[in-house]
Amino acid sequence: MDTQEKRVTLVWLALVALTLGSAWLGEEGLPVVATALVVALIVAAKGLLVIRHYMGLEEEGSRLRSVMRLYFVVVPALILVAGGTSWLAA
Amino acid sequence: MELAMKSMGVMGSMVPPSTELKGSVPGNRGIWVGILCELAEFALMFLAYAWFKYTHPEDFHRGPAMLYTACGVANTVTMLTSGYFAVRALLAIQRNDRRSARNWLIGTLLGGLAFLGIKAWEFSWNIDHGVVGTGNSFVAMYYYLTFNHLVHVVWGCLGLIWVILRNEFGAYSAEDHEGLEAATLYWHATDLAWIVIFPLLYVLR
Repeated sequence: MDTQEKRVTLVWLALVALTLGSAWLGEEGLPVVATALVVALIVAAKGLLVIRHYMGLEEEGSRLRSVMRLYFVVVPALILVAGGTSWLAA
Repeated sequence: MELAMKSMGVMGSMVPPSTELKGSVPGNRGIWVGILCELAEFALMFLAYAWFKYTHPEDFHRGPAMLYTACGVANTVTMLTSGYFAVRALLAIQRNDRRSARNWLIGTLLGGLAFLGIKAWEFSWNIDHGVVGTGNSFVAMYYYLTFNHLVHVVWGCLGLIWVILRNEFGAYSAEDHEGLEAATLYWHATDLAWIVIFPLLYVLR
């Protein structure tokens, strides 16, 4: 296994670990806002890992990379807002 | 979708390839138009999810407990693993190892088929347990999101079958593998959508 293959294998293991972490959160019954915050961070981390290491968007200053990365800032923010509205409604 | 199929080399095109972005963008420009359209479509669905969660908090609070969480986890791990196989296929063709690329691509496709199998089993379990689309707004959103994602997985599988066949006939090499890379990029975009869908439906209350 060369360096690149090792790198993507580690990324895959990290993605699986983050998924299992998310599932554990869902079962633990933590406060709604805390769950939303951790879920948002996990979604952002997973998205950014896939964009960089699986899709190969690594070039500095690339507009495409900026748009893709922005997506994984905006969507987790939306998750946080969705979690917050549930907390307000409770 | 036609654009995405063209980008994978499925359909011929009279439009000359743009040279402006060559080298700076993985795959080709066409597949990225398809990917950005797909992600925009899902972004609208995520907005709809947030709206219905705001207007029907009780449905969304109880919703995840109605679902079979293990299926959601299995689907996510399967999708991520399949995406990993797709990267390995790309790395293999970049060193001109067509045989290894074929094996990793078949692994990727099997991951996609396993995803579809798990989803079919989950839908059957849902029906047996009364989780049907007319149930409440959470369940309606669940089916809307998962069916839409399913369609993209099916398209991705068709793209993968095409590049497996093209690879068999020697269409790709270390120097020229744009179609193969485009298919794997589309696959990763479908993975990205699921990365968001999974916690929205199975974790967030």
